Amino acid sequence: MIWVWIALAPILGGLVYGGERVLRARMQRRQGPPVLQPFYDMFKLLDKRTLIVHAPHALLGVAHFFVLWFTVAAIFLGWNLLYIVFLHLFAQMLLILAGYSVRSAYSHLGANRELLMLIAYEPILILVAVGFYLQSGSFDIAQIVRGGGYLVQMPLLFVALAMIVPIKVKKSPFDVGEAHQEIVGGVEIEYSGLFYEFLYMSRFLEYIFIYSFVFIFAGVSYGLGAALVAGVFLLVNLVDNATARVRTMHMVKIIYAVALSLSIVNIMWIVL
Amino acid sequence: MKFFTAFRKKSPWILHYNAGSCNGCDIEILAALGPKFDLERFGVINTGNPKQSDIFLVTGPVTYRSRERLVELYSQIPEPKVVIAVGSCTATGGVFRGMYNVEDGIDQYIPVDVYVPGCASTPQLIIDAIVKALEILETKSKEIEKPFKLFGAIAMVGNKLSRLNMATRVKHDEI
Amino acid sequence: MLLTLILLPIATAFLTLFSSKRMQYFLSGAVLAIGSYQSIVLFTSAENMSFHLSSLFNTVIIAADIILLLYFLYQGTKHNSSKVIVLAVVQLVLFLYIEHAASSGHSAQVVVDGLSKYTMEYDISSGHSAEIVVDGLSKFMFLIINIVGGIIVLYSVRYMEDEEATLRKKQLFIAGMFLFLSVMNAIVCANSLMLFFFLFEMTTLASYQLIAFRNDELSRTNALRALWMNQIGGAVILAGALIALRSANTLMFDTLLQHSGGMLLLALALLSMSALVKGASVPFDSWLLGAMVAPTPVSAMLHSATMVKIAPYLILKLAPVLGTTLLGGVLSIIGALVFVAASYLALSRSVFKEILGYSTVALLGLMMALAAIGTKETMMLAMVLMLFHALSKALLFLAAGVLEKQYHLKSIEEMSALVHRAPKTVGYIVLGFVSLTLPPFGLFVGKLFAITSVASLLRERPLLVIVLVSMVVGSALLVLLYFKVSSALLSNPSDTLSAERERIPYGYNIPLIFLTLLIVGSGAGFIIIQHNVLLALLAVPLTFVFVLPRVMRGMERYDRTDPYHCGEKEPFDAALVYFEPSVRVKRMIYWSFTLLFVSVAVIGGLS
Repeated sequence: MIWVWIALAPILGGLVYGGERVLRARMQRRQGPPVLQPFYDMFKLLDKRTLIVHAPHALLGVAHFFVLWFTVAAIFLGWNLLYIVFLHLFAQMLLILAGYSVRSAYSHLGANRELLMLIAYEPILILVAVGFYLQSGSFDIAQIVRGGGYLVQMPLLFVALAMIVPIKVKKSPFDVGEAHQEIVGGVEIEYSGLFYEFLYMSRFLEYIFIYSFVFIFAGVSYGLGAALVAGVFLLVNLVDNATARVRTMHMVKIIYAVALSLSIVNIMWIVL
Repeated sequence: MKFFTAFRKKSPWILHYNAGSCNGCDIEILAALGPKFDLERFGVINTGNPKQSDIFLVTGPVTYRSRERLVELYSQIPEPKVVIAVGSCTATGGVFRGMYNVEDGIDQYIPVDVYVPGCASTPQLIIDAIVKALEILETKSKEIEKPFKLFGAIAMVGNKLSRLNMATRVKHDEI
Repeated sequence: MLLTLILLPIATAFLTLFSSKRMQYFLSGAVLAIGSYQSIVLFTSAENMSFHLSSLFNTVIIAADIILLLYFLYQGTKHNSSKVIVLAVVQLVLFLYIEHAASSGHSAQVVVDGLSKYTMEYDISSGHSAEIVVDGLSKFMFLIINIVGGIIVLYSVRYMEDEEATLRKKQLFIAGMFLFLSVMNAIVCANSLMLFFFLFEMTTLASYQLIAFRNDELSRTNALRALWMNQIGGAVILAGALIALRSANTLMFDTLLQHSGGMLLLALALLSMSALVKGASVPFDSWLLGAMVAPTPVSAMLHSATMVKIAPYLILKLAPVLGTTLLGGVLSIIGALVFVAASYLALSRSVFKEILGYSTVALLGLMMALAAIGTKETMMLAMVLMLFHALSKALLFLAAGVLEKQYHLKSIEEMSALVHRAPKTVGYIVLGFVSLTLPPFGLFVGKLFAITSVASLLRERPLLVIVLVSMVVGSALLVLLYFKVSSALLSNPSDTLSAERERIPYGYNIPLIFLTLLIVGSGAGFIIIQHNVLLALLAVPLTFVFVLPRVMRGMERYDRTDPYHCGEKEPFDAALVYFEPSVRVKRMIYWSFTLLFVSVAVIGGLS
């Protein structure tokens, strides 16, 4: 059964993404695209002639997608949370290397920003994992979701996690990595057709990845988990519609000044 | 494949290029994309990136300075693709027709599929044009489409097809 | 066996002085083969060994020490450096005083066993332990020194061919590298503090001479700076020895560590301060950065792969006692903060070797932090990090040497689009970076376990939260650093443009291949030893490398196109990002680290 879910993960993420586009449109009093729009886009991309700059660049994008899928599979299988964070780091590095591997200023800028985003959110993810470890005595997700009461013990870590969700799903005020108006999409700029599709799908997987972190905060109670995910999802979209993009370094400073301090305070609180 | 062709019209992504326009039509395009007219309900995304676009929305009469970029952008859009000329200038040169520094319409350089009249054209017309363009997009094949002028070469290097110089630079004596 | 490790390099050093180029290759290859074999045999053998030195030998060392210090004094007067002079005088006075006190208090300490004869256990009956003790840690260090060091010596033969210097000077250089190998082999099994001091000063001398090798203005100033900073290390060792002698009445590491109470912690604090100096921790980082003007094999051998590893080695040696004390806590916090600060400072540099130098400082900080925590697990991890860091950094430095000699490149600003011209060298460099940061390579796995084990200690020692956060943030900063450098190297135009095939000369390529195999092999070995199925699965994503050739052929059917430049025909490049702390912040960082450095002694004295 779990394997079916893993296989369906990109589709699940696609539905979330499609739903989000509708939700954002409704928040702006628009009708918005159909919920299945992401899949229409994907089918269309399959029907396009594919242009690439060079083979390693295209393949690194594909590798990024598959490693990310592997990461999501690891989450579903209940693996060690630290491994998952680092596997995700590996996936991101493949994308960043892809961005750097072409001689394109936008791609480089996008990869630079992607790197800065990485150094902003990765410490938080690890500290969240450490928080779970201190509470449940294990890094394994399978073990963690058998426990409960994380929200009571780690409220500040939850806030810190909620702060980095917009970075991961590329929403304002932290959508610096994509930033269509400035850097035309950043790392994904040189992809087209078939290969862009992989990057498009890895965006779906990012949703699954980051929202599963939100989900496990509920521990054993799946209903509460669903409620948490829905709440954070709404909040992120509300903030996205209401704020403007901050500069990249500004984002890093905000995350380090606020989210990192919150995490440290929370961990100290658990420990002492 | 036949199955996927049906989805071309469900997900048209737009590249918007200003080839020397007065910005009148550009504002109308942005109005069409904005919340009031909500082009996104057709699945439209304004990508700003030729490599991921299907529809090339051009405004302006094509000035001498902009033609290289026009052809370069055109040749970087993967097939199938359609071109929409938005506004009178883009179709015929409009009020700029016959001036020393313009080219009297983009069809001097690239094949155009839909012409939108008006100075400036309205969002309703632009939406109509996009819907019309989608019908044309469905009938197109994946063959490489070439610009009329400034066309370089499509060369095979080894087993790879290189479109590196498909749009050439304007030679100095042409200016 | 130990004798081979120490004497063979000395013998080859003499032979090198009279040998041709071909002979040098042969000699260095032989030393690499024999040294690696011996160290592996030693590593797999279980028992510890100890040797007594004859009194004659001790006298020789005392004489050599005095000559060495006088030489430093001479260099100080010659180059008119008051710091060197003062420190040399201080060391001389301390040294003579200790020798005087030791000989008057311990006249019975005459051990007749010669160098050739060794006993398997400590000579308890005489009440003194041996001057040379080979334990598990020393055996582990032999592995690093002989394998990685041997490879670097092999490389330096080819490197010297491209260097502009007289034949005699080149021979001296390679002889110096051999001598250095034997010094390193000796220092990691020195049990006597005075012997350790002598060898420590020998490595300082090696640093000084080899940094000044090119003998220009910059080299000499940097060499002098390295000299006086390392002399601080020597002086604190002597101070530590003096206190050890006064309070514990011994000059041996093992008896000192078994001792308790009194001023023991002060002695240990002083010794670990010398480790901070040798490891170029932040207030002293400028000597290691300055050392990057030396020829690349020197940077690789002394200032990254082997010599600076004395720092974590020394902390590891003291760790069983440091462990739960406040002193150990402070040391681990200093190490962790150095990890972050050095990674951050590196982001403002543009010379490739300086970036590598700073990242060495950072990772040494991490190793010292782990070592100073002092549980069995963290000490093991510190050792693991030492091994993998030595391999990866050696690879990176040797590749940097290729760039320097073949392409005349030093700054990353000039390396834009290098992958088009030099795909293999860039491949080695990117592999080096990846092996330092990403799964499934050894250094990454080491860091992963380090986070786990520090997290598990948090409840007992809440102060370790500083170490944990520094580790997490520092790793992220290092990722930023390495991949910022990659951004300059990697930007490649379309693959339909032809480029000349790159040829790396064999003399350069073979050591690089050795190191690559070692990185991959030892990383895989480490994962297998862990018996951790999940960990092995981290390597699964790499399996797609095997289908790569087929996939690459399949890629031929797609159209090649130019990157997007907004329709422009001229390509333009994005600039590299730099993060430079303001002068005020920088001064603050240096002052606070100096304070922390001094506080080590204060805490050692108080507790």
